[in-house]
Amino acid sequence: MSSVELETAPGTRGGFSLRELVRRRPEVITFLLLMAICVIVSVVNPAFLQPSSLIDIGRASVVMGLFALGVFIILAAGGIDVSFTAIAAFTMYSLTLLVSKHAPWIPMPAIILMAMAGGALLGTINGLLVHNLRVPSLIVTIGTQYLFRGFLLSFIGTVWIMSLPPQMGAFGRMPLLQFDSADGRTITLPMYFLVLPIAALLTWWILNRTLMGRAIFAVGGNASVAGRLGYNLRTVHIFLFAYAGALAGLAGIIHTCANRQSNPFDLVGTEINVIAAVVLGGARITGGTGTVLGTLLGVLLVVVVNSVLVMVGIPSTWQRVVVGSFILLAAAFFVTAQKKS
Amino acid sequence: MSPHSSIDSAPAGAKAFLELRQIHKRFGGVHALRGVSFSIEPGEAYHLLGENGCGKSTVIKVMSGALVPDEGEIILEGHSFRSLTSIQSLAAGIETVYQDLSLLPNLSVAENVALNEQLVHSGGSLARLFNTTRLRETAATALRAVGLPDDRAFLATIVSDLPLAQRQLVAIARAIATRAKMVIMDEPTTSLTRREVDNLIAVVARLRSEGVAVLFVTHKLDECYRIGGHAIVFRDGQCVAQGPIANYSKKQLAELMTGREIDAGRYRSAKPGAAELFHVRNFTRRPAFEEISFSVRTGEVLGITGLADSGRNELAMAIAGVSPAASGTLSLEGTDRRIRHPAQAIANGIGYVPEDRLAEGLFLDKSIFENEIALVVRKLCNALGIVDKEKGRALSAKISQDMRLNTRDLDLPVGALSGGNQQRVLIGRWLSILPKLLVLHGPTVGVDVGSKDTIYRVIQTLAEAGMGLVIVSDDLPELLQNCDRILVMNAGRIVAEFDALATNEDQLYQAMLASKTENAQ
Repeated sequence: MSSVELETAPGTRGGFSLRELVRRRPEVITFLLLMAICVIVSVVNPAFLQPSSLIDIGRASVVMGLFALGVFIILAAGGIDVSFTAIAAFTMYSLTLLVSKHAPWIPMPAIILMAMAGGALLGTINGLLVHNLRVPSLIVTIGTQYLFRGFLLSFIGTVWIMSLPPQMGAFGRMPLLQFDSADGRTITLPMYFLVLPIAALLTWWILNRTLMGRAIFAVGGNASVAGRLGYNLRTVHIFLFAYAGALAGLAGIIHTCANRQSNPFDLVGTEINVIAAVVLGGARITGGTGTVLGTLLGVLLVVVVNSVLVMVGIPSTWQRVVVGSFILLAAAFFVTAQKKS
Repeated sequence: MSPHSSIDSAPAGAKAFLELRQIHKRFGGVHALRGVSFSIEPGEAYHLLGENGCGKSTVIKVMSGALVPDEGEIILEGHSFRSLTSIQSLAAGIETVYQDLSLLPNLSVAENVALNEQLVHSGGSLARLFNTTRLRETAATALRAVGLPDDRAFLATIVSDLPLAQRQLVAIARAIATRAKMVIMDEPTTSLTRREVDNLIAVVARLRSEGVAVLFVTHKLDECYRIGGHAIVFRDGQCVAQGPIANYSKKQLAELMTGREIDAGRYRSAKPGAAELFHVRNFTRRPAFEEISFSVRTGEVLGITGLADSGRNELAMAIAGVSPAASGTLSLEGTDRRIRHPAQAIANGIGYVPEDRLAEGLFLDKSIFENEIALVVRKLCNALGIVDKEKGRALSAKISQDMRLNTRDLDLPVGALSGGNQQRVLIGRWLSILPKLLVLHGPTVGVDVGSKDTIYRVIQTLAEAGMGLVIVSDDLPELLQNCDRILVMNAGRIVAEFDALATNEDQLYQAMLASKTENAQ
């Protein structure tokens, strides 16, 4: 054919540059920030590097990490979900109540599956509403957050369950790793920690190895175009919210087992923390971008900030100031990097 | 003259790939399609012509499965359907390259080109594995076919990082990646320069030789003649003529589309004034443009053209203060003006009608009235800072009349208007500041024949009133019809100046290209 030299796209050719890397892989910044904090904290207080504090961080990441994966997958499709904490509280409390009052014989694996199924069901309601009302998912999930929580408190119960059914308590204590630290304490990495890497791998696999995953990003890029190209928006919306709901249900039951109590007033109010972690992990709030790895790094960053400030002598009330500054810093960095392109 | 050839007795031979029979579609009270019938044969080219709002996009949506017709029959490869779904249409090989290209900006080139092939293969089911190897292979084949690179780096490039011309080709590559039998292209050349259009036409010729039918929707009649094939002319939701395009003259087609006589001749008849109005000296902003000097007299219409990368767009934006020049001076009515920001340009009486009216110019969900007074809102305020709506409405009504807007309802949102009327609102807005110089950037991009005519007449009226006008455009007939002089830019410099009366398209085009080779050496 007539050889037409079309100008090459900026950034496809030419040398490596940090700016280009950050633009394409914003989670690099998250990683560098995380490393910088770890180095500073361990210089100020070497106790940070002890296995016990690392394990604490790992344990604290599980629930937030599961929530964050759900938020991320919805953000990737251009939506946002703020009802996941209500879903988690709803499933964990009703399930604990069910098991302790009526069906103490249900084995733990079945409880976990039921929590996920319950979460998925509530998520499906979100998905159907978002799809059929054609209202921004932020509005829909603000509504359903109130609805799920109100239903829980009005019809299911408000009494704090202080003693869990035995199988749930056992699951919360079941060790994956156990050893004695230098000062003689026993340090345990619980079995439920495994859930996070498994959920992360599954999410990564869905997003990158299935047509559904690509459809999610396509919808996040431009929903009406994706619809025109033949992607079934209804399927995508329902899958998204059901999947995020299942993760929230799972997070809820783990939260209960880990804390050895079930509080119906728990979790709701921590949504912004989770969304902050996902955005710090490089996913754009406008949707269509981000990675599972970035999301996990964002969660680690928030958890580390929350748990180490005390170690370097900064009052815990400063956590919010620090997390807020990081978000602004990261946002400013990502935006300038994009403008240069 | 009566080329209203056979409408109902369209050749319905067994070899037709797709046939529409008596398709009707209503939107509320609007009867958008009134019994449209035509057929598409393999390897043939079709040009769907008509003014904005005549039903062209509706019929495309019916064929691509995005809309369900109210009445009529669709015969696809011998099978009769009431309506099609998107997946049915895609699976049968009907691919549409929409005007907005319908690319997913956050995905890679490979995914944009070849993901749909996997989706169609799975019958629309999303519960399937996504095959990256096949994705890359399919994408590479399709990209080679449209003359784009097929290496890994290009395949992995995110589409929002590509220049517009390449995105256009990526969209076409996607259309052919699924072994298309019919490709619909909705105004494919609007944003392309002539060279890129040549490339596109070559791609189309190859598609046709492989038995693919191509249906163009376009306002550019010159390109239809170059491509050849059949014309299908729409007016008010009806098919008013169809037949080989060579059988119709430009004038005939324009009259069929509009239902009235269109003057295809030169619009410019007046002579410019003697006084120098505007002067630019040594305008430079590397690498976009350098050492640009030219002047405009009162009442003069100056054309500036060049390839997309020639610096013409950047120059237009520098004059308007959108992205100012790094050095050089600009004088208006004999005094040097400093313009670093659009607000300064407005204060000095320099108006700028941007190329992308949707992104840069109009507030689509606001009314005509609010759009037209946007620049003078502050002047319409009373002492309390409240906008005097009466005064604003009077101004808006006058502007709308001057611009021959074809609606009297000033509260209509601009997004509801046709492209031509939107453009008139945008130009009309600038009349509110009584500019001395008006820079029009691609004033008729995506505008139909009838609206073009109106816009050209308005341009001439403005020039006769003593305003200086600069038209930056790659529509060469437009420049020849409207300008006194035409400057040709290339590689950031003005390389030629022509008297519009003493030149022609070929000369201009030669200058645009010849200078390119000179500069390259």
